[in-house]
Amino acid sequence: MKISNKLYIGLLGLSIFATSCDDDAMGDDPNATNTVQIEFDNRFGATDIELGTTKATNASGEEYTLSTLNYFISNVSLMSDMGEMVSFPDQYFLVKESDAGSQFIDLPEVPSGTYSHLTFTVGVDSLKSISDVAARTGVLDVASYGDDNMYWSWNMGYIFFKMEGTAPGIDNRGTENFAIHIGGFGGKDAVTPNNLKQIDLHLHDVSVSESSSPQLHVIFDVTKVMDGANTISLMETPAIHNPMVGTSVSANYVSGFALDHVH
Amino acid sequence: MKKLIYLAVLSTLLVACDEPSTVLNPVEETGEKLFYQPENFPQPSYDFSKNPVTDEGFELGRKLFYDGKLSRDGTISCAECHSQPYAFTHHGHSISHGIDDKIGTRNAPAIQNTAFMDLFFWDGGVFDLDFFSVAPIVNPVEMDEELGNVLEKLRATEDYPEMFKAAYGSEEITTEGFLKALSQFMNSLVSANSKYDKYVRNEAGGEFTDQEISGLSIFKTKCASCHGTDLFTDGSFRNNGLQIYVRDPDFGRAIITENAADNYKFKVPSLRNVGYTAPYMHDGQFLTLKQVIEHYASGVNDSETLDPELKKNGVLGIPLTETEKSDLIAFLATLNDPTFISNTAFAAP
Repeated sequence: MKISNKLYIGLLGLSIFATSCDDDAMGDDPNATNTVQIEFDNRFGATDIELGTTKATNASGEEYTLSTLNYFISNVSLMSDMGEMVSFPDQYFLVKESDAGSQFIDLPEVPSGTYSHLTFTVGVDSLKSISDVAARTGVLDVASYGDDNMYWSWNMGYIFFKMEGTAPGIDNRGTENFAIHIGGFGGKDAVTPNNLKQIDLHLHDVSVSESSSPQLHVIFDVTKVMDGANTISLMETPAIHNPMVGTSVSANYVSGFALDHVH
Repeated sequence: MKKLIYLAVLSTLLVACDEPSTVLNPVEETGEKLFYQPENFPQPSYDFSKNPVTDEGFELGRKLFYDGKLSRDGTISCAECHSQPYAFTHHGHSISHGIDDKIGTRNAPAIQNTAFMDLFFWDGGVFDLDFFSVAPIVNPVEMDEELGNVLEKLRATEDYPEMFKAAYGSEEITTEGFLKALSQFMNSLVSANSKYDKYVRNEAGGEFTDQEISGLSIFKTKCASCHGTDLFTDGSFRNNGLQIYVRDPDFGRAIITENAADNYKFKVPSLRNVGYTAPYMHDGQFLTLKQVIEHYASGVNDSETLDPELKKNGVLGIPLTETEKSDLIAFLATLNDPTFISNTAFAAP
């Protein structure tokens, strides 16, 4: 069932793609640029997530729901089939499951062409992580987070990835809440754990033209956070707040990102 | 005649050359308000091109430093734990009390000569002074407030928007303006007018007694390898052999680096104003300088990360005779800077 669904979505994507190729042939200006949109769609496997409601079970047999899922995306770039890179430096995005608008990222003025790779960083790169406060505006403004803090003041740096929720039966200082906070850009004055992760997704030739403004639908499978190369048990580690412990989690979630289809 | 004109021009040039250096270096004035570079100090680490100290920025920073609005319930200002009469430390507190009388884990260090430091906090967890102030504001046992809330509270006042405008040209209260004003105030807290400073700069009032001269000489051979330069710290992190508590040990620098080689290492503190900043060590376990000296002479505990300077030739600690101990204490008293703790420009506005 799951497989046939994916196949269907894939075919649908292909047919839209074929349509947009047809449009290209109708005399588009080859020097035109257009917007590419990326949607970050957080799922448990194929299932949509509703915060506080949708349940998942990890490989350790622990059932959990999410209350918060946030992560930073930066250094997005597209690579054309000719090997040319189109980069979007100094653009930082905070994707939040609680904010639908934050899950759509616009990449403006992408030159016409065929693109074969999408790459991005999960986290805030080290240069920005040591930059002057003047360079930290928008989602990087450390005063902008309210209750939903994305900045470590005691070990200065951004929380790249934050996942919080509840798992019945676990004990985190007398509560059943867990908190997975991943940060650590490698350190400025000492070498410290680095949880910056680059993701490279193959695009199967996505066309951008005057008449084609594709949307890349990226699915992030949240179950991979705990079940990947490393198995994370919420009973054993209900609270992760240090970069070192976080390395086993960040190594996991890199495999959670996949291009599902292109609109 | 031509020669005279030439000389006149030359002398004007000389005067012009002299003037800027006195403007840039107003060292001699005691009670100096804004940042200056003492001639016996190393160059500052802080990049002043990004945030020069101005009268208006300093005044804004000073007001913020003394304002309880930075805390959740309005009761705790920065000055609560960093009090000027004690060289901006929390007098009488081994570890500091914050909001709701909650207790922290470490002794509040002196705020002085910040512009010359690279890393902040006992464990060096902050590498940019402009981000230093975020930590006590959001810490649940210190001020327990969200930074965004602080800015909102300031926006709702009559005077802060005007002060931001005076400092930065706009009434808009931003994170950058807020944090940099606090940096301006802290960077202005230069302490360089101790008896020792006058001694090394050959200024009036700097005449050392024989005991102080002896103490300085002992200090140079036995202490300056860590408490180096006229900042009296080399800025490094070291394990100085304090007792390691079995229950809930403080791993110090290793909390930040997550490297076991840094276990129990803490930032070497400056010894400036050490007569005002009791109690001592990261947890304030020693109440007097005599206890501190005794620790180094006979109380050093061995462990894997103990600083090699404290275990030379297999011998723990720093060998000191009773006379050397009293001479050292006499010398340390020359590091007190009375003008620093009494300068009204640094007091609550």
